[in-house]
Amino acid sequence: MSAVLQNLVNQPYKHGFVTEIESDIAPKGLNEDIIRLISTKKNEPAWLLDFRLKAYEQWLKMEEPKWPNVKYPKIDFQAISYYSAPKPKKKLNSMDEVDPELLRTFEKLGVPMHERAALAGVAVDVIFDSVSVATTYKQKLAEVGIIFCSISEAVQMHPQLVKQYLGTVVPVGDNYYAALNSAVFTDGTFCFIPKGVKCPMDLSTYFRINTEESGQFERTLIIGEEGSSVSYLEGCTAPKFDTNQLHAAVVELVALDNADIKYSTVQNWYAGDENGLGGIYNFVTKRGLAKGVNSRISWTQVETGSAITWKYPSCILQGENSVGEFYSVAVTNHYQQADTGTKMIHIGKNTRSTIVSKGISAGHSNNSYRGLVRIAPTAAGARNYSQCDSMLIGDKCGAHTFPYIQVRNQQAKVEHEASTSKIGEDQLFYFAQRGIGSEEAVSMIINGFCKDVFQQLPMEFAVEATKLLEFKLEGSVG
Amino acid sequence: MIHEDSKALLEIRGLRATVNGIEILKGIDLTVRSGEVHAIMGTNGSGKSTLAKVLAGHNAYQVTGGSITFEGNNLFDLEPEERARAGLFLAFQYPIEIPGVSNSHFLRLAYNTVQAQHGKDELDPLEFEDFVREKMKLLDMNPDFLDRGVNEGFSGGEKKRNEILQMALLEPRLAILDETDSGLDIDALRIVTNGVNKLATKDNAIILVTHYQRMLNYIVPDFVHVMQAGRIIKTGGKELALDLETRGYDWVGAEYHAAAEA
Amino acid sequence: MSMVTSNSYLESLLQGQPQLPPSPLAWFNQLRASAVDRAGMLKLPTTRDEDWRFTDISPLAKLSFQPARAVSTLQAPDVERFYLDEAAIRLVFVDGAYMPQFSTQPNKARDLGLTVTDLSSTAVSSHGAVIEPHLGRHAGFQDNLFAALNTAFLHDGALVIVPRNAVVDAPVHVLFIATQPEVASHPRCLLIAESGSAVTIVEDYVTLQEGAYVTNAVTEFVLEGNAQVNHVRIQRDSTQAFHIGHCAVSLAHASRYRSVSVALGARISRYDLNARLAAEGAECAIDGLALISGRQLADTHTCIDHAQPDGISRQLHKCIVDGAAHAVFNGKIMVRPGAQRTDSTQSSRNLLLNAKARVDTKPQLEIFADDVKCAHGATVGQLDIEELFYLKSRGLSELAARNLLTYAFGAEIIDRIPVASLKQRLEQTVFEQTKRS
Repeated sequence: MSAVLQNLVNQPYKHGFVTEIESDIAPKGLNEDIIRLISTKKNEPAWLLDFRLKAYEQWLKMEEPKWPNVKYPKIDFQAISYYSAPKPKKKLNSMDEVDPELLRTFEKLGVPMHERAALAGVAVDVIFDSVSVATTYKQKLAEVGIIFCSISEAVQMHPQLVKQYLGTVVPVGDNYYAALNSAVFTDGTFCFIPKGVKCPMDLSTYFRINTEESGQFERTLIIGEEGSSVSYLEGCTAPKFDTNQLHAAVVELVALDNADIKYSTVQNWYAGDENGLGGIYNFVTKRGLAKGVNSRISWTQVETGSAITWKYPSCILQGENSVGEFYSVAVTNHYQQADTGTKMIHIGKNTRSTIVSKGISAGHSNNSYRGLVRIAPTAAGARNYSQCDSMLIGDKCGAHTFPYIQVRNQQAKVEHEASTSKIGEDQLFYFAQRGIGSEEAVSMIINGFCKDVFQQLPMEFAVEATKLLEFKLEGSVG
Repeated sequence: MIHEDSKALLEIRGLRATVNGIEILKGIDLTVRSGEVHAIMGTNGSGKSTLAKVLAGHNAYQVTGGSITFEGNNLFDLEPEERARAGLFLAFQYPIEIPGVSNSHFLRLAYNTVQAQHGKDELDPLEFEDFVREKMKLLDMNPDFLDRGVNEGFSGGEKKRNEILQMALLEPRLAILDETDSGLDIDALRIVTNGVNKLATKDNAIILVTHYQRMLNYIVPDFVHVMQAGRIIKTGGKELALDLETRGYDWVGAEYHAAAEA
Repeated sequence: MSMVTSNSYLESLLQGQPQLPPSPLAWFNQLRASAVDRAGMLKLPTTRDEDWRFTDISPLAKLSFQPARAVSTLQAPDVERFYLDEAAIRLVFVDGAYMPQFSTQPNKARDLGLTVTDLSSTAVSSHGAVIEPHLGRHAGFQDNLFAALNTAFLHDGALVIVPRNAVVDAPVHVLFIATQPEVASHPRCLLIAESGSAVTIVEDYVTLQEGAYVTNAVTEFVLEGNAQVNHVRIQRDSTQAFHIGHCAVSLAHASRYRSVSVALGARISRYDLNARLAAEGAECAIDGLALISGRQLADTHTCIDHAQPDGISRQLHKCIVDGAAHAVFNGKIMVRPGAQRTDSTQSSRNLLLNAKARVDTKPQLEIFADDVKCAHGATVGQLDIEELFYLKSRGLSELAARNLLTYAFGAEIIDRIPVASLKQRLEQTVFEQTKRS
């Protein structure tokens, strides 16, 4: 690999600082007492404690999944602290009351916490370690009936809604990490878009892991009632530690008749250093239920961070004519491992899904696409189109494609395509011979490769994603 | 066309080059003046494509001796993209496919880079569209080419036309055509060579690297050089190519060795 | 396949193994013995094993199968109808046992230096040194119960050695005939194509009865440098039978392997084809067709392993699924580190003809080299509505149009069989099977 390619992939992580802030951290370890402690600290109703305990009971009986194409030492779940919150935790009346150290942290990360300084038209919920520290534009959203707050607050203020939907898309025992999350989740975001309301601005959550020994287990629940629509953005970063931090989130989306939920992620958790030391283990369950007729759930993700990514944002297409979409760019470098993809479960008639996955591997990394398209016997007229492309930079990395296609209805049509491309000496020489320098060439090739996904991102995110990718791959080509 | 007092564009002296430690070029001398058309012929492995790559600055080839001056400057001081911007153009034998990058975007970026080098105005996408369409007529190309990925899914002939289109856009001082004729049917060859002829002026020069005499029926060379084992072993006029076509290459080598021994 | 201590079912499967006569070759006996040991340690795969996720072979365990008894009543007219006009060289096995009286090879073959014989014959002793590095070495049985069982029963089998630079014009026909119900047979083939040689081999599984039986076949093909092998594999077992087939192909420098496999029979069939492009510039084309109906299940697992640079692979696998049948395809393309300039394409095409039919397909790429061209695709669907409409607009009835298109879908694979009479016969079969009233 030539020097330009090298430089391009090997830029330092710029969000790797630690905020010096006093935190309230629960003792390490996981048992019923810790779960009761979390529940008590959050002043939760009995049904939620039951939900947690039931999940814990199931988790104890489960085993870590072995099938992903990733390798890591066994996680000691007793060495993790399951609750960490910046002190003091008191009810905030406005942004001005937020700890100035926190404000500075998020300013440094480019996250707008002051409404006056905010990106025009984006409301933000900020999660720091285990708790939500601030939510902007709450009042303005409330005027049209939209609930946008931390899930802890929703449990207090809108318990009936949370109880109605929590765990309906991802049951407590769905998988190992989802069960763990259901037992110990500390905070997260709650959105409720009532019937007929088109959300006037993009909603956004910014996740930050700060404490070395803590895991982050957030829970997001978004409900779009009949005829509503919302675009939701999620961003994540973490400091650089030599140890690995566990992030096991659960995201549930519910779209009723004619509702439209678009969920975009730019994941930039710390990925570990160039020798593979440190970084986040990102084991996340994201699933949307397109419950109503003509409903639509769309996932867009740009995954650049984490030492290990294990993540399959999925759609259950239950309503007739419902639509599921998955657009993904996953970039791995150094010793990162990503096993990511989607599941499209077609149940309703004439349901449609589209999968566009672009994997870029560099360094010694391994990047796997794993996808499932299942057409149930009931899904007459279902359609799926999948495209999974891989790009390899250098000859020490791996790209893998595992598409599972299961069809139980003859009136369905499923198409899958995959291809590979590369950036190497010959490509760069061709550009150079036409007067185009290697950095510009790499940027053109990568943007060309990812175009179909970037087009799906909201404008500001698309710009950020492009920069992030160039930054991430700077030094890997040439 | 040979012009008595035209200045030397390219001067190669005693050029030696290796790839993976194996010497491929073993002392090449060649002078190309503006207005001239040179054909470099030879069998596979004679080193003619290596010469083309070395001129363009491919980093798989290590120059181990000699010099190359391009318009009075030391070519070895220039990176590949600087050579391109200085007006040295290589039409590739195997143009590479770059999926996802649209041909029009690529062509415009290349064109504007060279324009900027000459202090000329860059073209915006709309202006460029008109400009490139005009050039494409020269090569009888379908405008659909612009919307496709660079060389992506192009047939061999389409790729070669795309190379000459780039030559037409970049207006190089020196164009090196590496086996541009291979893989072309007779109609495509006529279109491509016709395009090249229209681009030839008294101020630029062309080096044709080819295996066969066929292309030289359409682009008439001023000089024909025969390469063998990393050296130019014979130089003649256009009639030499016809000789090679009828008699093959062996006799040139025999003659060269006989001369060397004598 | 996970390991457990031996279970009684496996013990029953291994019944009769001890009665096999020992070979004069020590390594041969050793190979069998280690396969017996291994078979005893492995257990029957279940749908919890990723490789058997969609193929439930528990019905196999519900029946008891005996080793085949020798048959003597079979006459030439019973088996002649399976012969191929073009095939001058033929090896016939009945319920796994070699039948010299039905087998034939002309003097011409001997003149070429061609060895076509039964694995248990004395010829094996004389070719021991050639066979030893290959027999049981390509179709590994460490993690494969069925390969272990087959190797444990290693006795009769087809051995074909094509000498250096020999070009065999006529196909070699290896015919396995099932005649008895409730027996298990373990057909075995070993082909060694020496450098520069060329041969076409037809591996053909047929039946004379409609009962339940188990065919557990293992085939090993060794292609030395520049060798060219055409492999046609036809599975026409009874629709009550269980067919487990395992084929391992090893390709040396610039060798070329082309295979067409067709699965028509068996209640449950499973075919594993592993081609290892073990040297530079090797090339393979692997095509398959499963045409099934009723309650049949046909599972094809292939692995094309590009271990060295400049390899080319092409694969087209098609399934036509009618009734409540179930087709499974798992096609893995592996490009190992350093296997630069690999050029690989793979396509899985599936046609469902009935509401109860199902298909599970998984075309899979694992790439560890950067300068490669790999593409794969999969489709599942019905007949194309536009094509149907076009044919109907030319006056064809709906049914005729459907039959024609279904036939054409399958014929694309059959057409690639390089043996005219076999192609014709199979085309007829496909035509009849896809013709629905």
